[in-house]
Formats: sequence, structure tokens, C-alpha cells
Amino acid sequence: MTATPRAEVHTPLPRPSSRLERFGRRQGWVVGVALLLAALILWRSSQIPAFGAFEVRGIVAGTMTLALLAMAQSVIVISGGIDLSVGAMMVLGNCIAARLMLDQDLGTVVGVAVLVVVVAMVLSGLIGTVIVVSGVPDIVVTLAASFTLAGLALVVLDGPGGGTNPRFQELLVGGFDQPGPAILWLAGVLLVVWLPFKRSRLGIATYAVGSDRSAAFLSGVRVGRTRIVAYVMGGFFSGLAGLVTTAFTGSGEPRASIGATATLTSVAAVVLGGVALMGGSGTLLGPVLAAFCLALIPPLMLGLGWDPNYAEVARGVIIIVVVMIGGLLQIPRRSR
Amino acid sequence: MSQPLLQATAVAKAFGPVVALRAVDLSVAPGEVHALLGANGAGKSTLVKILTGVLAGDSGTVAVNGEPVLLRSPTEARERGLAPVYQDPALVRDLTVTQNLRLTGVDPADVRRELAAMDLDGLDLDEQVKDLPLPFLRMLDLARALVFDPQLLVLDEITAALPPDLSERVFAIMGRWKQRNRSVLFISHRLAEVREHCDMCTVLRDGRNVASFHPGQEGGEGQIVAAMLGEASKGVRDVARERRAARERPEEEAPRLVVRDLLIDRQDAGVSFEVSAGEVLGMAALEGQGQDRLFEILSGNVRAAGGEILVDAEPVRFRHPYDAIRRGVVLVPSNRLMALLPQRPIRENIAAPLFNRVRRWGPINTGRERRQVKEAVDRLSIDTRAAAQARRLSGGNQQKLTIGRWLAAGFRTLLLFDPTRGIDVGTKHQIYDLVRELADAGAAIVLFTSELREIGLVCDRAAVLHNGAIVAELPPTASETELLTAAHGLEATAV
Repeated sequence: MTATPRAEVHTPLPRPSSRLERFGRRQGWVVGVALLLAALILWRSSQIPAFGAFEVRGIVAGTMTLALLAMAQSVIVISGGIDLSVGAMMVLGNCIAARLMLDQDLGTVVGVAVLVVVVAMVLSGLIGTVIVVSGVPDIVVTLAASFTLAGLALVVLDGPGGGTNPRFQELLVGGFDQPGPAILWLAGVLLVVWLPFKRSRLGIATYAVGSDRSAAFLSGVRVGRTRIVAYVMGGFFSGLAGLVTTAFTGSGEPRASIGATATLTSVAAVVLGGVALMGGSGTLLGPVLAAFCLALIPPLMLGLGWDPNYAEVARGVIIIVVVMIGGLLQIPRRSR
Repeated sequence: MSQPLLQATAVAKAFGPVVALRAVDLSVAPGEVHALLGANGAGKSTLVKILTGVLAGDSGTVAVNGEPVLLRSPTEARERGLAPVYQDPALVRDLTVTQNLRLTGVDPADVRRELAAMDLDGLDLDEQVKDLPLPFLRMLDLARALVFDPQLLVLDEITAALPPDLSERVFAIMGRWKQRNRSVLFISHRLAEVREHCDMCTVLRDGRNVASFHPGQEGGEGQIVAAMLGEASKGVRDVARERRAARERPEEEAPRLVVRDLLIDRQDAGVSFEVSAGEVLGMAALEGQGQDRLFEILSGNVRAAGGEILVDAEPVRFRHPYDAIRRGVVLVPSNRLMALLPQRPIRENIAAPLFNRVRRWGPINTGRERRQVKEAVDRLSIDTRAAAQARRLSGGNQQKLTIGRWLAAGFRTLLLFDPTRGIDVGTKHQIYDLVRELADAGAAIVLFTSELREIGLVCDRAAVLHNGAIVAELPPTASETELLTAAHGLEATAV
């Protein structure tokens, strides 16, 4: 009884993981999606004799809306919510912009653009507030909100119409062979808006709230406020998506089905981009890359000479297969 | 008399119709390590949450250094010098440790310093919380609380998930706090710890404080148990021990369950043991010696890397828990909610494994189902007030329910994985009695326990698992020191 065994034994510290392991664990999915995208782009470029600025611009500008909606959905999903009204918000933004921008000079048009984004942020923040205060599940509130927003869009613009300033179009989505502006805008939003947010205390709190609400509360996070902020951020991205639609099409289109389809595709991009629907993990880059993957499939199928309807079938299959492979890859890690 | 550091007076709290605290007085003096004790559902956690600003009390006052305070958030409590370490680590899984610290506004350098003082400076704070093992998360949570240099450190069942050497470091900190004339409020179900390290204890029962005394005094343990159980305490203790003594040795027959050279992991030496009908085999091990996986293999949840399992002298290969259950081998896992259907009523929980037997297709004969369920509920004296949803039951009642499922369905070999973790003393004794009763009725039982005294209380034999192999078999009379020595893989001295 002289020496108790207690003091002699040391529970070993967990082995610290190397930088590479960690990078693989945390960014592996994004890298995977980026590789998938690279492969799809290579494939597409091999289908066309001259793959140049024109084609790149077509892809980037055409996918920008979806990429922005994927960002909107991602922020909200990361915070532990879901938003089925991002598409309707985009349509509403498009209609407001198209109506007010018609035949205006560039200064006014930029003013309107700011107004559209602010309106989207306020409305989305309102939706978030209703969810937090009322305790009604987010999926119900945002589904209901999507009807309201779609209705408002029709009030603003009762049919296809409106317009915008061509200079504004060029600034946002570039001319027919200028992929530059669209790429710059997307990269800019990610670098100037998202990165600083993600690294701020508010950004960390957003992840915390999505991962474990009670642990976040116990750490001193204001849970309700943080969740509302995520919806405001979502509104910002949805508003931008509305502007891009206006710039890309040059007009407004209040059809509700456009919004509904866009919402569902944004959820698909979020899932494919490695943002867990449970919340708390993932980045915005993954869903943006995933949005491009999804957008490349129809032209690829066209290049193969398939019926375009099969493109939709292929899209669904690809989402399931990719997510399934990702799940299989994560199994060894779980059993460790 | 000096002024108490913390004085709670007539604190009450009700959640709807359920009264958690009726009227609790608690007084913690400076330089005192004060234990807060009580059965599950006595209101300990609620009191802690009120004292640390997570919940608001319905009535009553809390005073710090004689000054009444209103604590509306954990942050306000910290500003008043009350820092808690909760039962579940308040760390967000998907963030790195450093990010978690930023949320609370704590400088990682300070936490590193506290960790170094606990000899844990090798811990990498840039790991994501979900990649770190639970015991270290508790230590991190503790280090974070220490950074606030609190007047009163509140430790809610911190040692429940800690291996002995880490527990020792917690006790060292408690001692240090005491020396600095600061206080600790310590919650634990392990009476030995409370007796050794606490100067004072307050026992809660049914939402009231029923006794306060020095737990280390002569007969302290009995006094604690009596206070916790109140009326219910009569005649619960040591029934299991008597029963075991009265047990007749079974006649020579083939053991019910034989395990030969079972490889938990590829590199292990292999586990071998046998259990007969009517026998309770205790299994002791430190954290992480492969016990979790061993039980999962035995219950058909995971496949072994090699080796043999024989049930009634017949080799078996379980591919699915269904196979094991069909051979009468059933598991009660440590995580109760994993085994239960938390949103469903008691009745369905008990009947779920029954459905396999009752009916293959078509509607289920509810009359027969109800009868069997009622039998199980009565036998276990499960508190059925919250019958509509299993997750609303207290921990002890949930544990009874997980055992009760198998009572109704029938079994021949019962695997119990730490069945009393986090359960109050009264229910623990009910479970001990039940285990002996089941063994007497002819069940073979393998019981893993993290509380070594249970080996002496309920088991017929003890097998010690170390590094994926059984390193010693000891009689139930083995002292805790002997068990611990063997569990560390050290040579067991003559028994």
C-alpha cells in the first residue's frame, strides 16, 4: 500500500494532428468539389473547338445568381437554420430593380441597386426575427414567407418587363466576351464580405449557434441575435442575386416558379458544397464551386448530344453519388 | 462567524407543473470545498444553473459576499466571481478550441498557462473540439473557468468522465483554491471523493436541502445515503451482497457465454473469459482499454477482428444485433438515450424489442403487449408520471427502462455497460438488487463498471481488462487498490 497506482499512470494526451491531416479533415470536401469542377471544365472545354472568353463568361455570368443564392443558403444553414424563401427574395429583388431601373441613368441605377440589397436584408432579417421570437420552425416560416415574397414580386411587376441600364449590366456581369466582372464580383464578395465575417467574433458565433445552441449560450453568445444576423447576411446575398438576374437578363420576371426552383437548387449546392444541413460546419466556397458544377451539367449533356431533359436526371444522380462517396470517405474517421 | 461567500436563501424553481426546487438554502464559506449531493432529480443541476445565471429562479435570493445579486446570464455570474464547469462541456464541437475561447472572450495564452499548471500543456488548442476526447474537454472547460480566477468554482460532476489521474489533478486544483481562501462547489455521485476532498456537504432531496454536515466524519457515507434517500433508505444497502453469499454454486454445466481470444483490435492479445448461468462477472478497466468495443462485439453491433464467441457451447457469428438478441444476448449500453426511443412513450420503449417476438407481420396484439409491459414497469418500479416521452424521464428511470425492455422480451445473457453511471445512490441499489435477482433467475450477466466498489457489491468474479486483454481474474473480495493495480496492467500482488 506504499505506492498507490493512481499517481504513476498518465492518461496519454491525444496525439496532435499534423497540418496536412487537419487541412484534409477540414477542407477536404472543398478540395474534392474543386477537383470535380476542374474535371467538368476540362471536359466541357474538350467538347468545344474554341473554349475562350466567350464561353467562360457565359458560364460564370449564367451561374452567378445560383452561386449567390448558394451563399445565402449556406450562411443560414451554417447558423442552424434553413431558408426556403431565398429564391422568392431573388425574384422580388429582380422585379424591384427592373421596375425602378428602367430608362434611368447609371447613378440612379446604382442607387436602386443599393436600395434592393437593403430591402432584401431588412425583409430577411424580419423573417429571421419572426423565427427567433415566435419559435415557429424556420422551415415553416420561410416556406410561408416565400409565398408572401412571390406575391409582392407580382405586385411590383405584374408581368415580364422593366429594364435596366446597359452600363450597369456590363459592370455586373460583363459584356459577351468579358468574364472579368462576374469573376471579380464573386471573388470580391467572398473575400471582402464573407472572410472578414467568418473570422469575426460574430462569424464564430454563427458557427457556434449552428453547431450547439446550448453550448454557445453557455459561452456567452447571444443566440437569438446571432441567428437573426445570419438571416440578414442571407438577405444580402439574395438581394445581390436579384441584381445579377436583372443585369444578366436585362429585365424583370415575376414568375414564382423561378424562385421555387432556384431555392431548391441552392439547397442542392449547399449539400454538394459540404455544408452540413445540421449546421455548424462548412464554408461558402464549397457551395459556390458546387453551384458551378451543377450549372455545367446541362451544357455538358448537350455537348454529348443527349436530350436536355436527361440533364436534370443526371444532376440529381450526381448529387446523390457525390454526397454518398463523401459519406463513405468519412466512415473510417468516425470509427477511429 | 465570518460572512459566507455564497448564500442562497429559499431558492425555488418550477418548470410548468414540475417543481424542481421547493426552497433551498445553501451557504458556502470562503476557503471551503462544499459538496452538493442528492439523488437524481433532487434539483442539483437546477440549483447550479440558477447560481450561474443560466436559469432565473422563481423566488429566493442569492447573495455573494453578503451582497444580493441578480444573475441573468453566465457572463454576469462570471463577473460576480462564480465560474461553472457544467456536466456537459460548454464547448462547441465544430469550432476549434481557440475559436471557442474567443467566443467567451478568453485569451488562449491564459488557458495554456492553466493547462500547463495541470501538466496538460501538450494539448493542441487548434484542434476542433470534436476531435478531442471527452476527458480532455472537461479539463479544457475547467482551465477556461480558472482563467476567470473565480471566487467560487462550481464543478458539476466533473469527475464522472475522468480517469483517476485526471481526477487527481482536479482535486489538486480544489486544494489550491482552498489554500487561497476561495471556495469550490463540488457535485459528484462518488461518495469516496466527496468524503476525501470536501469540508462540508449539503444534501438535497425533493427540491429542499435536508442536511448539511462534514462528510468525512465517522459514518459520513451512511449519513449521506440516509439523507439522500430519506424514507426510502431502509434496507436497501448490501442486499446484493447478502444475496450473493446465499447463492448456491451452480452444478457443473457448460458456461452460458464463452469468449476465446477475441480480438478487439488487430494488434491486441485477445480477450478470453466465460460466464455461467446465475453468475455476475464484473469487468473493470481504465478508460479506453477496449471495453466499449468489446461490449459492442458481444452484442453483435461491431464485428471482431478475430477470435471466437460460444453461446451455450455453440460457436456463433453475430452479424447484427438481431442475431445476438435471437441467441438471448442483450446489451444495456452506457448511453441510455442511444438504446431508447426518446420521443416515444414508456410502453413502446419496453415493447420495441418485444415486437420481434410478438408478431412478424400484421397488427400487434396490444393486450398481450400491455400485460408484459406492465409487468416490467412494476418490477422495476419505474416512475411513470412522465410516461408519454422517454426523454423526459430522469436518468435513473431511463436506465431502468433500458433494462426493462429486455425483461419483457426475455434474455439469457445480459451485458450491462456501466449501468449506474450518473445515477443516484437509491436507484443504484435498486439496480444492484435487480442484477442479483436476474442472476438468481438464471441469467448470465457481464457487468462493466467504472465504479470499482460495485465489483464487491454485486459481482461473483472480477475480470480486469487492460489493453484489449483480460490481465487478471480476481474474487469479489479484492480491494479497490488491488483492482486498480491490475487495471493499470501492473502485477497484481498475492490475492
